[in-house]
Amino acid sequence: MRRVMKVTAAMSVAALALAGCGSSTDSSTPGASGTTSAAKVIKVGMAYDVGGRGDQSFNDAAAAGLDKAKAELGADTKEATAVNGEAESAREERLSQLIDAGYVNVIAVGFAYAPAVKKVAAANPDVKFALIDSTDAVGPNIENLTFAENEGSFLVGAAAALKSKTGNVGFIGGVNTDLIKKFEAGYTMGAKTVNPAIKVQVKYLTQPPDFSGFGDPAKGKTAAEGMYQQGADVVYAAAGGSGGGVFTAAKAAGKMAIGVDSDQALTAPADVRDVIITSMIKKVDVGTFDFIKSLTEGKFVAGTKVYDLKVDGVGYSTTGGKIDDIKAKLDDFKQQIIDGKIVVPIKP
Amino acid sequence: MVAPAVELQGITKRFPGVVANKDVTFSVQRGTVHAIVGENGAGKSTLMKILYGVLRADEGTVKVDGQLLALHSPSDAIDAGIGMVFQHFMLADNLTVLENVVLGAEKRHGIGDRARAEIERISADYGLNVHADHLVADLGVGIRQRVEILKVLYRGAKILILDEPTAVLVPQEVDELFDNLRELKSEGLTVIFISHKLDEVLSVADSITVIRRGTTVATVDPKSVTSRQLAELMVGSELPSASTDVSTVTDRPLLAITGLTLAGAGVRDVLHDITLTIHAGEVLGVAGVEGNGQAELVEAIMGMREPTAGRILLADQDISDWHTREIREAGVGYIPEDRHRHALLLDAPLWENTMLGHQTQSPNAKGVWVDAAGAKAGAERILAEYDVRTPSIYVTANSLSGGNQQKLIIGREMSYTPRVLVAAHPTRGVDVGAQAAIWDHIRRARREGLAVLLISADLDELIGLSDTIRVILRGQLSDEFDPDVVTAQDLGAAMTGADQRDPGTVADDLGTRHTEAGPETHGVEEGQ
Amino acid sequence: MKATLDLRRVGLGLLAPVLAILVAFVVTSTVLLLAGDPVVEVWTQLLTVPRPRLVVAIINGASVYYLSAIAVAIGFRMNLFNIGVDGQYRIAAFAAAVFAGQGWLPGPLNIFVSLLIAVVVGAAWAGIAGWLKVTRGVSEVISTIMLNAIATGLVSFLLFRVADSTAGSNVTNTKTIPASSQVPGFALVPGTPNKIYGFILLAALVGVAYWVILNKTRFGYDLRATGRSETAAVASGVNVKRMVLTAMVLSGAAAGLVGMPLLFGQDYSYGTTFQPGLGFAGIAIALLGRNHPVGIAFGALLWSYLDQQSNGLQITVGVSSELVYIIQGVIVLAVVIAYEVVRRAGLRMEQRRVARQLSEEPGSPTPEGATV
Repeated sequence: MRRVMKVTAAMSVAALALAGCGSSTDSSTPGASGTTSAAKVIKVGMAYDVGGRGDQSFNDAAAAGLDKAKAELGADTKEATAVNGEAESAREERLSQLIDAGYVNVIAVGFAYAPAVKKVAAANPDVKFALIDSTDAVGPNIENLTFAENEGSFLVGAAAALKSKTGNVGFIGGVNTDLIKKFEAGYTMGAKTVNPAIKVQVKYLTQPPDFSGFGDPAKGKTAAEGMYQQGADVVYAAAGGSGGGVFTAAKAAGKMAIGVDSDQALTAPADVRDVIITSMIKKVDVGTFDFIKSLTEGKFVAGTKVYDLKVDGVGYSTTGGKIDDIKAKLDDFKQQIIDGKIVVPIKP
Repeated sequence: MVAPAVELQGITKRFPGVVANKDVTFSVQRGTVHAIVGENGAGKSTLMKILYGVLRADEGTVKVDGQLLALHSPSDAIDAGIGMVFQHFMLADNLTVLENVVLGAEKRHGIGDRARAEIERISADYGLNVHADHLVADLGVGIRQRVEILKVLYRGAKILILDEPTAVLVPQEVDELFDNLRELKSEGLTVIFISHKLDEVLSVADSITVIRRGTTVATVDPKSVTSRQLAELMVGSELPSASTDVSTVTDRPLLAITGLTLAGAGVRDVLHDITLTIHAGEVLGVAGVEGNGQAELVEAIMGMREPTAGRILLADQDISDWHTREIREAGVGYIPEDRHRHALLLDAPLWENTMLGHQTQSPNAKGVWVDAAGAKAGAERILAEYDVRTPSIYVTANSLSGGNQQKLIIGREMSYTPRVLVAAHPTRGVDVGAQAAIWDHIRRARREGLAVLLISADLDELIGLSDTIRVILRGQLSDEFDPDVVTAQDLGAAMTGADQRDPGTVADDLGTRHTEAGPETHGVEEGQ
Repeated sequence: MKATLDLRRVGLGLLAPVLAILVAFVVTSTVLLLAGDPVVEVWTQLLTVPRPRLVVAIINGASVYYLSAIAVAIGFRMNLFNIGVDGQYRIAAFAAAVFAGQGWLPGPLNIFVSLLIAVVVGAAWAGIAGWLKVTRGVSEVISTIMLNAIATGLVSFLLFRVADSTAGSNVTNTKTIPASSQVPGFALVPGTPNKIYGFILLAALVGVAYWVILNKTRFGYDLRATGRSETAAVASGVNVKRMVLTAMVLSGAAAGLVGMPLLFGQDYSYGTTFQPGLGFAGIAIALLGRNHPVGIAFGALLWSYLDQQSNGLQITVGVSSELVYIIQGVIVLAVVIAYEVVRRAGLRMEQRRVARQLSEEPGSPTPEGATV
């Protein structure tokens, strides 16, 4: 009888849920129809990675590109964000729902979307996709936007070595993934190119599937404090939102730090900006905007588009003037990379 | 005459299936030490919880200084000037005496110098010798107890309840405590002192109320009673109503224990050199105040405790190191003393309860499978045969009364062809009707040639049912008593060690030589 | 009499979840109102009939949750809190993925041995916690939480050792399972090309096995008895230590299967994006389903339903999909409380009814032999 009770209990849960479902109206109109509207407003859906708009890093850079397209191209946009630990199907569903809602140009932010883009793009051949940071999904309607983070990181690595007085610099990666390893590889090579004897301390904040390393300033602070105590005087924070903690630690120790993705000497809290000597800039905003622009002009090209130093897709910032003295040397390295004289690896 | 400090009238408290207190009535005069004595499980603790507002009585009244009180919580009791010192101290080790005392009573005198002065004053007035700034962690047991008393006095108590205060003390500390109590009394405070150590009670109390089976039996003057008389009152000395007819004892030993010893945590063994033999058709009764090793003896026999030394033979098989399940399968039925904890799955239907302990046996199991149909049929049969009153075998064990639960357990243990039955307090907490039925079942077991080990605190029951009686005291067994000639008084005396004036009846290993040594002698170790 | 008894129980049984869902509804609506979000639109979106492809996603999600909740429930039935299902399924899925990706064995045999590996690895990982509890008295809650952290580190460390990454890809994966060993899905839902995991059968099988073992075997009886009263189980002859170890190992074995539908029916490799957190959802779902295999199935469906419907919240209503976490959380809390309230009320009713019936018909069920 106890068993019966439990069964009925559970059944009623489901019954209620289903009863609720019955009272709904299916208002969606599947399929592509948005682009052909009279006003010719381009409709763009953007699916963010975990963290979404407001992460002061990767997702925000994508959002900046979207905002620019909204302002300059009059794009009609819709945004949705991934939640931590969601199922693969949830990512597929997010893309599908954007399409269902009429946003037939879709930007998927982050490599986690690769399998979902592959599947949804195949099912919706009329819809144009941009997939950032991944070449795993290819198709006639997919543009893969990848960035040469290793090249940009080479330059800030060189800057770190040039600025370091102790011959000891640090690298803090947010989460131990292949993507962040690209940052590490470039940074280390850049530093060693300047000073072959330099010591590079490397630390990743978390291991997948724990992606909290991209948004935990406390972890960043602890790791940076350790590095400064071990003799480092410049630390590169390739850790998204955790970078804030690295800057705090640098400020407290009176040492230097390097930002990532956007020009963090402009976006970080005012009191720690002066420790940021430069930032490795990854122009996701440019990539996003270019994609939307190409659509309005009917110039969509499927396939991989690499944003590297050559096309100014990555770079370093000079806000604050802290590296003005070494700018000539950095630009020299930059030219050598562009010319292929220096080949920066993607794995440490 | 002034109104008594405390007056209880007709207090009755029922728990599902059990009446814990029934028509308890007594009064305590101001400025006296009043002892409440009784066996464990007699209902003393329930009564004190009612007086302290932790539990509410179903019937009856509590008056303090002639005023009728409605006690809903301990804070009501504290407001009425009643304070309780629990057996287990409630002190924070890492705080000072001052901090412990003011904790929760910050409003009285603050937490600073005013409070310190008040503590020193109370300590001096009552000779407690407690210092406000000592760290509790550094204090011994005796002084901790005085801190507890001070805590209660600090909160303005005029009536102190002390629950088994001497249980944790060594004899010298007991003497000090008694000095303190006399001091309190002389200052006009009233002390209610709960104990079952008869010598202590006789030495300190001005008046003694005896509780047995939840009700007040008598209030006596310590000057006019002996500890033997008190023991009789405690355990009851009515004529036995349980009795067996012709002896069915055979010369075939079914359970033979030799030299069974179970080492304790301290110096003394929990069980020491227990040797006993029970023959087919024999009921061997073990009398004793609770906490003297009965529970451990049963658990050792049932394979739930590993004996330190000694052998247990079931017929001619050595079962000393067998596992509980093997022992049960070999035909040892077991009626545990705490049926809720050890004998029933309260949330499970009755038919799952009638297979508990026999889940590997027919008709409950077929190989690795449970035979639900067989088990249900078995349950129906057991419930019918043993007159368990229930609407169906599908209700939970929780919904039955205590008596019906116990009949179910006995029916179950008798239904799987047992050779030996170990029954601990089989009639505790059941109504009279169920008690008679349970006695019948034990008599039938005896008639059918089982060896029965009967452990009970009810001496009438023991005398009535047993073929032989042994008394257990501090983990040791006495020689045999013959139930046809022994009286409840004799047994009561042996149980509490108060039988030194009658050395003929009791064996030496009861420790008669120690009986002059003071309160500890009559001490009954217990694991409350 | 039994029939009326059952009706009463059914009524009581319905009461708890109805109460819980009502409370969840009210609490969530209040949160929405306070946040100034559109209440009506949110509920309309959440209660929309899911599209066919969503139905598939809900069922697929539920099948994974189901396995996880069963793993948790095995422990729960014995009062063991296996918080470590999360680490157990991840380390097991990783081990199985590494093996299956090698393709040493042909098609189905590869699948079978990989499942076996997952079961053994999951069981062993949980067994550590069981062993610590039995021999050292370490609370399984603490040890399984710690083992989760260790599993995360260990898998991450090993993953980079065996990773099979291609240039330009940022995903770190084990080798993809050969096509012959991928488990095809069932196209059961019309109107969508998406398929239901073939391994939904595995989930069903585990559910049936759980029910049979618990309710039909002596072992299951011992396990349930230990969960209901450890002291009574000991007195009845159950070896509780062995029981603890066995239950942990079984729970871990079931946990090992949690990632299998994902591995063989969707991802075909274990990588950094392999779905985490299933073990924790399993705890909530086991609570929702009251550890009953059918109850858990409904709980898993409800959970998955809310998960999937939440996507539309951002897009069509503009409310953060984290709202669904609030709903899920409140439902679990409310269900736990409601079940306890209803259980106590039920017990009181039963006690009263038994007492009344017995007093109405005094001594009636007293057949022969009653007064032996």
